[in-house]
Order: sequence, then C-alpha cells, then structure tokens
Amino acid sequence: MNKLVFITGARKGIGRKIAEYFLSKGWIVAGCSRKSTNLSHSNYHHFILDISDESSVTNVIKSIKKNLMPISVLINNAGIASMNHILLTPLKSYDSIFKTNVQGTFLLMRECAKQMNLSGGGRIINFTSIASPLNLEGEAVYASSKAAVESLTKTAANEFGPMNITVNAIGPNPIETDLIKLVPKDKIDKLINNQAIKRLGTCEDVLNIIEFLIKPESEFITGQILYLGGVN
Amino acid sequence: MKIQRNTILNIVKSVLKDLGEDLGKDNLLDTNELTPLFGSKSNLDSMNLVNVITEIEEKLYEEHNIQITLANSSALSTSRSPFRRVGPCVDYIIELIEESHKNN
Repeated sequence: MNKLVFITGARKGIGRKIAEYFLSKGWIVAGCSRKSTNLSHSNYHHFILDISDESSVTNVIKSIKKNLMPISVLINNAGIASMNHILLTPLKSYDSIFKTNVQGTFLLMRECAKQMNLSGGGRIINFTSIASPLNLEGEAVYASSKAAVESLTKTAANEFGPMNITVNAIGPNPIETDLIKLVPKDKIDKLINNQAIKRLGTCEDVLNIIEFLIKPESEFITGQILYLGGVN
Repeated sequence: MKIQRNTILNIVKSVLKDLGEDLGKDNLLDTNELTPLFGSKSNLDSMNLVNVITEIEEKLYEEHNIQITLANSSALSTSRSPFRRVGPCVDYIIELIEESHKNN
C-alpha cells in the first residue's frame, strides 16, 4: 500500500531532492513552500503554505488526511538563515528565523503527530545544522534556532515514543543550495575544516540518513541528532 | 449553521466510549457532564487525555468540518483545565468554535 510523506520547503534545494526521491520510490508526496512549484508528478501534491501560520498548517494537514491519506512521514526541511554579527542583527531577522525554523517545526510536528497517533505511528525527521554544535560566529540567531529544533526533537521523541512515532534530526554540513550561496567561500572553507571528513555535503548524504530513519527496522531509533561530516 | 451543544456533548461521549472499549474501562462507556477527564477522580491518564483531545478535534473536522485546536496552556491543571470534566470541556469547545466564527 502507498504511504504519504509530507515535506516542508519542497520547492527547491534539498527539499526538492527529497520529494523527487520519494516519488521515485512510489510514495505519495505532499510538499509545501511559500511559492508555487514546477514539480509535476501524478503522485505529487503541492501546498502554498506559511509554516508559521497555525490555522493554515492545521488546515493543510487535516485536508491531506481527508482528501489523500494519513501522513506516515513528516520531513521538516524548511528553514531560513541570515548571517550577521549579533550587534548588527535586526529583531525582524530574529523573528522571521525563529518563526520559520522553530515555530514552523513545532506546528508541523504537533499537527502531524496527532494524525500519526490515530493511525498507529509515524516518523518525524527535523532539520538542524552543524551551525548549532559549532556555535558559529555570525550565525547566532540561525544556530540558536537550530538548537531549539534539537531540543524540540529530543523532547518530542520522549512524548511521542508511546505513540509509536520516532523523532530524529539531521544536521547537514554545508551543501550546495540557496541557503549557503551568499556565504563567503572562506567561511565555508573554515566550516569544512571543522569536520572529520573535509568536503561539502551532498543531497545524497542527506537522503541516505532519511532512508535509514524511515526503515521499519529503525523503529527503535528516536531522539537522535545526526550531524554529517563528523561534527560533534 | 450553529452547532448544538448536545452535538458536541455526544462527540465527547462517543470518543470516551471508544476509548473505554479499547481500554476495557466500563465507566467510560456511559459518561455524563460530570464525568472527570483529568485529575485523581478520572479514569484517564495524561496520555489517554491527549488521545481524547486529538480524537475530538478529528471528529469535529471529519463530521462537521469544524477546524479548531483544543491545545490549552492549562490543559493539565486540575483546578483550571477545561478538560477537568466533560461539561466544562463541551463549554470550552463551544467557546473556541464561536471564537473561530468571529475571526473568519
């Protein structure tokens, strides 16, 4: 029987690759982003959604169950970043980063877990970043928003464990996407030097972890933060 | 169309009845406005209550197209929780539905 995965930030970058991966494996894929997509596939359903808006999130998640099927896997990939020294960071940047990265992750987890609970379980995969454990200067707000996602992941794993829902987070190192295209090269090089394996990440590295976390045999793995490239 | 209080009451009672059947708890099969949902006199633990709240939201949406979120900061407070008994829970749901009508 087909299963449904919901992916936030599915229009481009890693989210798009994840959507294409699941489609290639025969899954029903529901994706969302702030803008429309050119991804066209009979099993793909796109929603234009602000993930920080409570009523819109609730509406989309409930309508997916009603019109398609219950969500089996949630991938909270959507995220925004802004590099700046704390002294030069406007509160508006702080607000928008926390709204998307933390509030959005929280709302999606809450609404999807309600559905997963009623349908016997599910898998939630959040996205953190190596910016959090490395406490990168210039990324105070982004890194702290991801630290909040990690904390949400671990607590949700405890709360959702009895519901047969696992919650884990992937922390990619820099990957060639829009998120890092404005980051200076020397900054990226410095970041890579902090890794045990010194190279940029790829979407395939991320897909490998997702594939592992959604396997039936991974039902005992929850509350884990998995960084790419050997960052601790 | 305005939803009747009795309709909401029946939804809450049917969710409790389903849970009572699943858990083998006979006193959830026929509940009333005074039945405790939370606290020392209740037959539900905190996870049961979470499931009840989720099921009520689901039934409201599936059967009446009513989309409300029952999350409440004092949900697990014995003195202030709207979920302490069936009656206050029904009143709280009606209040949320009326609020959502005002906002739309």
